[in-house]
Amino acid sequence: MSEDGTDSGRRRFLLGSTSVVGAAGVVGAVVPFVGSWNPSAKARAAGAPVRVDVSRLEEGSILGPIPAWRGRPIFVVKRSQEALDALPTITDQLQDPDSTQPEQPEYAQNAYRSREPDVLVLIGLCPHLFCSPTPRLEIRPEPFEANWKGGFFCPCHGSKFDMAGRVYNNSPASRNMEVPPHYYESENILVIGEDEGSA
Amino acid sequence: MSDTKKQGWIVSSLVGLRDWTNDRLPIVTAWEKHMSKYYAPKNFNFWYFFGVLSLVVLVIQLVSGIVLTMHYTNSAEGAFASVEYIMRDVEFGWLIRYIHSTGASAFFIVVYLHMFRGLMYGSYKKPRELIWVFGMAIYLILMMEGFMGYVLPWGQMSYWGANVIVSLVGAIPVIGEDLLVWVRGDFLISGATLNRFFALHVVALPIVLIALVVLHLLALHEVGSNNPDGIEIKKNKDENGIPKDGIPFHPYYTVHDLVGICVFFFVFCGILFFAPEMGGYFLEPPNFQEANPLVTPEHVPPVWYFTPFYSMLRAVTVPLFGIDAKFWGMIVMFGAIAILFVLPWLDRSPVKSIRYKGWYSRIALLIFTASFLILGYLGTVGTSAGRTALAQFCTVLYFLYFFMMPWYTKKEDTFPEPERVTGRWITGKQLLITLALLAALILLPLKAVGAESHNVHLDEVETDLRDEASLQRGFSTYMNYCHGCHALQYARYERTANDLNIPLDLVMDNLLIGDHATGDLMSNAMQPEDGNNWFGKVPPDLTLIGRIRSPEWLYTYLRSFYVDESRPWGVNNSVFPNVGMPNVMHGLQGDVICTNAEEAASPDECHLEHVAGTGDLSPEEFDTVVADLVNFLYYIGEPVRLKRQSIGVYVLGFIAILFVLVLLLNRDYWRRIH
Repeated sequence: MSEDGTDSGRRRFLLGSTSVVGAAGVVGAVVPFVGSWNPSAKARAAGAPVRVDVSRLEEGSILGPIPAWRGRPIFVVKRSQEALDALPTITDQLQDPDSTQPEQPEYAQNAYRSREPDVLVLIGLCPHLFCSPTPRLEIRPEPFEANWKGGFFCPCHGSKFDMAGRVYNNSPASRNMEVPPHYYESENILVIGEDEGSA
Repeated sequence: MSDTKKQGWIVSSLVGLRDWTNDRLPIVTAWEKHMSKYYAPKNFNFWYFFGVLSLVVLVIQLVSGIVLTMHYTNSAEGAFASVEYIMRDVEFGWLIRYIHSTGASAFFIVVYLHMFRGLMYGSYKKPRELIWVFGMAIYLILMMEGFMGYVLPWGQMSYWGANVIVSLVGAIPVIGEDLLVWVRGDFLISGATLNRFFALHVVALPIVLIALVVLHLLALHEVGSNNPDGIEIKKNKDENGIPKDGIPFHPYYTVHDLVGICVFFFVFCGILFFAPEMGGYFLEPPNFQEANPLVTPEHVPPVWYFTPFYSMLRAVTVPLFGIDAKFWGMIVMFGAIAILFVLPWLDRSPVKSIRYKGWYSRIALLIFTASFLILGYLGTVGTSAGRTALAQFCTVLYFLYFFMMPWYTKKEDTFPEPERVTGRWITGKQLLITLALLAALILLPLKAVGAESHNVHLDEVETDLRDEASLQRGFSTYMNYCHGCHALQYARYERTANDLNIPLDLVMDNLLIGDHATGDLMSNAMQPEDGNNWFGKVPPDLTLIGRIRSPEWLYTYLRSFYVDESRPWGVNNSVFPNVGMPNVMHGLQGDVICTNAEEAASPDECHLEHVAGTGDLSPEEFDTVVADLVNFLYYIGEPVRLKRQSIGVYVLGFIAILFVLVLLLNRDYWRRIH
């Protein structure tokens, strides 16, 4: 007891417990307001995986019109044998030839950076400052590279990527182009945006 | 050792920071002036909670309102859908929207009670005139906020309510018509009006409101609080210049107010989680229908907090000096609010509180309160000759309270005021007599002018949102029989399938129409022009039909089609006469005839009878099919209903625990104060 007759132990206990419970209440009240910033059902529906039919995709070409997933362009390219053969020959000119950085799902961490050797699936954005690189798929001399083996060239800042989306040395970009999660629902239906079995 | 040392270091640097700041910005001085050394009378009673509660609601409205603007679309095309988007698609959007809609009504409840407190205890009298004037300005801005906020959901009541109130501007002689077009920004209430109301509601008026609240509080803390005895505590000070009947606001009234705040939150959350529509008073059913400039709802009552003034507006039915009744109605309505501003100069009584005023004042306040409440009730219902007469009578009484005040407050014998504040409360007997008198004064006149007429008889139906099998059957029936023409354009396949526990593949294979994705809205492919051509009316969207109509209405309506060859589709309906919809479930139900077709003046007088042997289902089986469909429509009207109620139980439990703690804490502080 203090001199004015208040039981300070009791007072302290009540102040403490009320503060703790009150603070818990404030945290609880904040939850819905914080939660309301999460993507809504509408945004999630718009960002849902997309299905594309790759049966009409011809060798050496990119699927058009370019599909979008979560508002990002998706490059689906069918590579020729010649292009595939060229991939191992240029590894000394690349920053990350073995795809050691986590820019792709595990199943695409291979020499082709793809599930099927010929079909490449990439998010069509340059990892530098997110311009969309231009596909330059043919093996022929280009103004920016005399010995071009096919790939992608970013018009914004000149980053160069090979036919597996791997970034060349001397590019402003320092990472390979991202491979989105994807799988084949059937032989020709490619699902972009989720891994097999996660649905 | 090291712990205390460390604590000492933290505390001393905090104290240092405080002093550093205080030298540059008087935070300590302000805290003392407004909290720890603001001496409030120690005899505050129940009525003194509503000031702080108004502040609490203001904060609730600001926070929830700001979050709502992040998801709301302020265009005539998108507003209604965006509110349903908030209610369904935004995480916890339903909760935030209900907080805001319940908060709007809560604001008026606490403000009305706060104002009534002022009337009772003479808180407007010298030296508190400015506090009262600022308070009335707050009330006025609040009404504008409430009105414009109600327009934003862009439902039928939003639209037609806005139409009625804005049209009042047109009653102003000479310039009215041009002014009206200017206010609307169009030749009718339109997206232009919505946009300007949105800007005023979310930006301009809140700024004014907050500024006025600050002025209200600054003026209050300058002259000090009144109290139930209406005597100035500053007249009796001790040797330190502290009022003998005063007590520091902090901590005594902060803990005391916490008790009231807990009770308030308990009631607020009770409404929020278990009755957010509050029987159609907080959220009116017709407002779940999108605004339609071509069709007025049957009955356009304003939200409850405007109804007393709305009644006055309607009560003026005679033109005067060659000017429309409409204009005088507007004058009366705005006059009723304007006269509140001059109240401090109408009261000539030597005492403040109703406790020491004479009988004239007491009776006048009682009659005034009864009149105001009667007017409030009348504003929610339709008019009749008797009701209009009563509204006119009550309007006169409302104004007499103010006009006669200089006379009766001066004339009457007052009771002697005590020297010091008393801790006394109203006795149980006094309370009962007052309430009984008030109830009699309100109910007897209302009874005399007649009750509401009864509606069509509706059949009972059970809705059970936990009965998944019923909801699944209802969903399937909806998809097979309704979705060809109607749509559920605010609801999504995926969410519905998840809520009803239907495997998503099943929905995709059997129920999905066209190339819809699972996350899509359940819109349909019918063109509005086709609907108009085929049925004379576009089949309405059914997402919210379970909120516009009761389950009983839907159940009865769907079973009340009967053969009537005079109608385009060969059927009529006894619940919804001459409806444009064909009896789509005729194959299941079979023929129903109107046995008294000759005598029945209108379809709703028909006695219906099922023709035995027709239809694929027995009448009982058919009733079950319809009941399941109604259950589904009731569910889809508010998919979150069950979740809302289950969260509500936890929230109320939590507040109850907090209440007990706060109550004990309050007792602990006030133990030795008398």
